[in-house]
Amino acid sequence: MTQLQSSSAATAGAPIKLREMLEQCEVRLAETGCYDGVTKLTLKAESPLKYESLHTRLRSSVVSARETSKRISASPGVREVGESVVGLYTPEGDSVVFSFGIMVHVHTMSRFIKWMVRNDYQDDPGIRPGDIFANNDAFIGNVQVPDVMDVVPIFYNGELIAWAGAVCHELEVGGVTPGGDVYLAQERFTEGLFVCAEKIGENDQIRRDYLIRVERNLRSPIYWILDEKAKVSACLEVREKVLELVEEVGVDYFKRATKEYIEEGRRAHLERMKVQTVPGRYRGATFFGHLYKNKPGVLPMANKDQLVPIPVDLTIDRNGLMTLDFEGTGPWGWNSNNCCEAAMEGGFFVSLTQFMDFDGKVNDGAWLATRLRLPSGTWTNPDSIMVATACSWALLLPAFGTYHRLMSRAFLARGFKEEIFVGQVNTPFFEGGGISQYGTRFGGSNFELAAGGSGARGIMDGLDTGYAGWNPESDMGNVEIWELSLPILYLGRKIWPDSAGAGRFRGGAGFTSLYKIHHTPMFMLTTAIHSGKVFDNAGMCGGYPAPTALYHYAIRDTNLTELIAAQKPLPHFEGDPHDPDPRRLVQGDFEFSEGGYIGRPFKDGDLFEHFYNAGGGYGDPIERDPELVRKDLENGIVTPRAARQIYHVDAHSDDGRTYNVDVAKTEQLRSEERRQRLAGGVPVSEWRKQERERILNREFVPEVLEMYRDSMHLSSKWKDEFATFWQLPADFSI
Amino acid sequence: MARPSYPSSLIADLITARLPWEQTKRIMSDYKDADRFDKYIEVLQASVPWQEQIVLPIGEHLYIVQKGTVRVVKCTCGQEFGDYHQNWKLSALIRVRDTPASLEAIYPGPQKPDPNWMEIREYICPTCATLLEVESVPPGWPVIFDFLPDLESFYEVWLGRPLPNG
Repeated sequence: MTQLQSSSAATAGAPIKLREMLEQCEVRLAETGCYDGVTKLTLKAESPLKYESLHTRLRSSVVSARETSKRISASPGVREVGESVVGLYTPEGDSVVFSFGIMVHVHTMSRFIKWMVRNDYQDDPGIRPGDIFANNDAFIGNVQVPDVMDVVPIFYNGELIAWAGAVCHELEVGGVTPGGDVYLAQERFTEGLFVCAEKIGENDQIRRDYLIRVERNLRSPIYWILDEKAKVSACLEVREKVLELVEEVGVDYFKRATKEYIEEGRRAHLERMKVQTVPGRYRGATFFGHLYKNKPGVLPMANKDQLVPIPVDLTIDRNGLMTLDFEGTGPWGWNSNNCCEAAMEGGFFVSLTQFMDFDGKVNDGAWLATRLRLPSGTWTNPDSIMVATACSWALLLPAFGTYHRLMSRAFLARGFKEEIFVGQVNTPFFEGGGISQYGTRFGGSNFELAAGGSGARGIMDGLDTGYAGWNPESDMGNVEIWELSLPILYLGRKIWPDSAGAGRFRGGAGFTSLYKIHHTPMFMLTTAIHSGKVFDNAGMCGGYPAPTALYHYAIRDTNLTELIAAQKPLPHFEGDPHDPDPRRLVQGDFEFSEGGYIGRPFKDGDLFEHFYNAGGGYGDPIERDPELVRKDLENGIVTPRAARQIYHVDAHSDDGRTYNVDVAKTEQLRSEERRQRLAGGVPVSEWRKQERERILNREFVPEVLEMYRDSMHLSSKWKDEFATFWQLPADFSI
Repeated sequence: MARPSYPSSLIADLITARLPWEQTKRIMSDYKDADRFDKYIEVLQASVPWQEQIVLPIGEHLYIVQKGTVRVVKCTCGQEFGDYHQNWKLSALIRVRDTPASLEAIYPGPQKPDPNWMEIREYICPTCATLLEVESVPPGWPVIFDFLPDLESFYEVWLGRPLPNG
């Protein structure tokens, strides 16, 4: 076996095990407060130009490798919307540099490498030059099964000096329901094909038996297999470039510099905290509704509706250290929407890269300067690896959307209003399988979800159809690409009117797609990551939450062929939600469905409408510039109804396309709204007394009662705070 | 790298959304200006109709101000909400949308949440009727205390000067 050499100057030359290197690195961090004991940025001080040049070239290598690998992939998820990322890691598994893309996995890949190190992979199965390791097990280091990651060790003169890693998100994983996000996964054993920190290749070649396993266990294995080749090519390209640079700067310089980059990232993060935020305690909460009761295919233990609370506490101390705490959140469930530590850390990491640490030395250093508290037994940190995490984004995105609002409060207090961001929102999946338009068996996902609306910003509206929290390179892809990969034709893809959370600055608008199921005798479709009955986003400073995509329209056995032959009007989107176009204009078996969708298979000529979320608003809606409302009317982002009832703007149109605003009447409307607010509002102190009685009488629906019961059971601290706020008797329970 | 500094007039334009996007983007992409907080407070202080010193903004219209020897939360209009250690929302007006009819104005048809599962709470200033915050929570959820700053650490450790004390 190739011996690994210590990266520590103090023990250079002595053989040392990789696990011991990791342990020593952590001890040195604890002892000195600095990553791996790097108390001085020596190389930076000696020659800033050389130091920065190496960093830039390392970063270029991962960016370049990702672009090359995207051309090898066959998956529209990777090729069209960039569902991949490439990174470089220290021997201990800490990220040094990484590319654009799904950056959430930079840190989950770090967990994967460290898992192998801690489990003595150096001894068995061995870590040798040319080896390829893969993983998609969330409890080892991942978010969900479709995120398959490959890493290769980089050796120099027999010494492991780094790891190169790459992740692609797969569109099909062979789970109980077709697609990548496996709506019906209710425990681990139904999530699809697991690869658990497995050596899948040697001598730079992917093993044939591994590829055979993939071929025989997926509905559309071509995507996974070509993504494997794309990832390995990316890793090898990074390895080649790193070794070239090591030859140039020397291996000792390389090893020391990679450690200094991480330490510099850690210091820069703490410094940024002190420049951009205010110490203190920040609080928020959002919620998610699981609707599974009586849905087809649900196992008995999962046959229930459940309301999950996601309270988030952020503390920033006088040293700039932030601690994020999920005390009081709900338990894990027999459904696909659970997370785990690695996924939560990944969600935190990608938030940091977008909020605080988006330039300079962006790496695991920032992560080392934070704390995350995930109570055991909750959906954030299940106490069993048998729990399903197939749709873990369902709660992960709202959780860190709340974190975004808490950080935004800090930016507001400090004066950086331009950095305020009302937060990411959920990204509902549309996927399925069956018989493709080409007559073959298949499974796949539509990745247009990578372009929802963002939360509003402190000085402007949110991004319309242009944001996904997990991939800052947001892109919905071309309609034609999704029509090629799924048996669908688009009757419409359009901004969802009134979807943007209202506010002085509104959230970014979401969109809706109306699909004709096309040229297939059987398309079994599902949707996932849909909250039901409750919004899983929020507004800020007087802005309203966006109306989370709570429902779908499905129409089977339609008269679409006759309508087309007669050149009658066709539905292209929802239209009036009280009388939706898919029902108004089409005859057929109409179905309105809440929450994630599962139902009878579809066939050619059926219709399905899917909605993608928008962001929450910022500030009081009646402070919105009427001119902005007029533009929104003309662009179809708000309806005349919303302009009048929410923004209290008096707008008129003769042709339904161009609008005029009566400023004087608008001011009258807004004055009247202020009067209504004062007349209709009651002092919180009075309302609190009434609400206390309701709590004492437990006047809630069963799902709300269960939510409170669960939170009190999981957290005595949360129970105490609840009881204190409502001044409940000591023996109160639900 | 020297951190930039911008004139107060530019900060005023920036925080009131009057600055062109190209200029805003340049500011966002540059190093953060070290004197932002002081300029921010200067601009805000000039914009409010009262004299108390702003210690820290905590909302779009809410400020912790120095009032004699105590610090209270104050609205742009002058309405006061009591000591900043207490949640200002408890001194506000509230309007709760917890029926299909009251939710309909904001969320038409099926776009509304189930009011048995979630209600929309609007916290309103009793004087100027500004909508200060909106909560979307299940019935019975305690009023959220959005932000309790550590003013002592902020002023004395981070800003390196005494906390105003009247």
